[in-house]
Amino acid sequence: MKRKASDYIMDTIVYAALIILCVLCLYPYLNQIAISLNEGMDSAKGGITIFPRKFTLENYRTLLSDASYGKAFVITVLRAILNMILSNVVMFGAAYALTRKRLRGRKVFTTYLVIPMYLHAGIIPIYILYRYLGLINNFWVYVLPFSFAFYSMVIIRSFIQDIPESLEESALLDGANEMTILFKIILPLSLPVLATMCLWILVGQWNDWTTTLYYITDRNLFTLQYLMMRIIKQGDQLRQQALLESMDVDTQIKTTSESVKAAMIIATSLPIVMVYPFLQRYFVHGVTLGAVKG
Amino acid sequence: MKTQQELTRKRSLAVDMRKDMYMYILLLPALIFVLIFNYIPLAGIAIAFKDYDVLKGFADSPWMGLENFRTIFTMPNFVNAVKNTLIYSSVSLFGQFPFPILLAIFINEVRSTGFKKTVQTVSYLPHFLSWMSVIGFAYSIFSITGSYNDIMALIVGEGYEPSNPLLDADNFLAVIFLSGLWKSIGWNSIIYLAAICGVDRSLYEAASIDGCGRIGRIWHITLPSIRTTAVLILVMGVGSLVSTSFEQVYGFQNVFIQAETDTMNTLAYREGIQGGNYSVATALGFTRGIISVILVLAANWLSKKISDVSIW
Repeated sequence: MKRKASDYIMDTIVYAALIILCVLCLYPYLNQIAISLNEGMDSAKGGITIFPRKFTLENYRTLLSDASYGKAFVITVLRAILNMILSNVVMFGAAYALTRKRLRGRKVFTTYLVIPMYLHAGIIPIYILYRYLGLINNFWVYVLPFSFAFYSMVIIRSFIQDIPESLEESALLDGANEMTILFKIILPLSLPVLATMCLWILVGQWNDWTTTLYYITDRNLFTLQYLMMRIIKQGDQLRQQALLESMDVDTQIKTTSESVKAAMIIATSLPIVMVYPFLQRYFVHGVTLGAVKG
Repeated sequence: MKTQQELTRKRSLAVDMRKDMYMYILLLPALIFVLIFNYIPLAGIAIAFKDYDVLKGFADSPWMGLENFRTIFTMPNFVNAVKNTLIYSSVSLFGQFPFPILLAIFINEVRSTGFKKTVQTVSYLPHFLSWMSVIGFAYSIFSITGSYNDIMALIVGEGYEPSNPLLDADNFLAVIFLSGLWKSIGWNSIIYLAAICGVDRSLYEAASIDGCGRIGRIWHITLPSIRTTAVLILVMGVGSLVSTSFEQVYGFQNVFIQAETDTMNTLAYREGIQGGNYSVATALGFTRGIISVILVLAANWLSKKISDVSIW
């Protein structure tokens, strides 16, 4: 194909636009990293872009020495792991059962499970229900309600349906029953989709803060994201504690509540940001699977 | 007397269920969870019709009929909240709609695989950040000492007064739109890119042999390949027109703009969980739910008429 002048012009436009987009996506994050690594008083003068002017780790030291950060970290990690386990067990079981064509009542169950996707009760009835169940100010409010998501189950189900029936048929001929097929054949082959689920769950659980906002007032049960929300919006001071505990001149000079806030944002978002580029294709695969089959 | 047929049919149901017992056991946890956390709260919608008193409990609270609904419709904040909800949602939905498509088309036009992958990875970053992180960045960048004012000072020159645009309610719509676009453009382009990749390459060659220019190829081949996906996404989006993102709106609000920028769900939160006004808040949520169902059905019907695409 001969390349005309208009081809080059188009190329330039496309490349330029995409580069601008990349800059726009990256800049805020790099800017925040720079602020978190910069002395607070210096940042207050303005002019910081993506490089720290007066480098310091004091902001992170202040952040990590605060007990509430450590507690929130543990809570967040715990809820992510427990959700991964519970969700996958519940949804995988349901997905497998619903792929059994002979199952009586299959359509009924599927309809029963899909309706809640469209009908929501609203936060108040849920709040009152949680009160009756004792889930208010209870760690399990982070886990139990999230155990089933229809859309995710459908993705697992589609995946299982794609597994060649011949594998099951030959197992049946060898005398296996459905449970054996599940554990010895389907489960090992489904690890990719379960891994994708785990990643989705990880991101969702890590970034969620409205659950804490609605149902938790106990400081010991705050998640990382919620703690950060309070610091950003409600002026909760992480720095106060550190100041009180150590009359360290360094802390006083090098940090401001703004700079510690920046450290908090970076520290909270960094795990996901570091992980997603490498596991990107699992996420993308899940999205396209859901879109095509859904 | 039951016929032989009826007896056989009944027995095979029981037999089948017995044989599949393990399957039902596998299904059971999901059924129970959905019952407890999805269906039981639906019954709680009745609270919208009662004057719920925490002390009296659910059954003993007096019946109010439609009184609560009358209350919310006459609440001064209600009309404003509905207006805000619809404006923020529609501007976001229709305004942001073309951009992921444009991005997908651009990415498709890139020949270098390395650059392609880099752009994709970088553009997904905002999606993986929580709204709170994004809001944190925004408040930092738009603060008086942040990059926004630095750049504006360079552009405007002498006499520029630094200010934080996030503290002005008039800017809120732009804030919601732009932040929403920034956060979703990369991720939303995935579906379109997948659709574009499904197109047979030979179609492009055939078109260029027939004298089709690059833009012509994009217009006649690439765009139609994503038509179905695009319409579907629009239809689903219209169904959620009453649902603004609580996280985004609540997160960006500050004490200066709170009163003017409340949407239906932030209002429900303030009235309900913060204010303890359960009945009114439930009525609000219920109203929202009804409007949402109507919108989904309407959008689905409309898209069936216009194209052949619909959800069901």
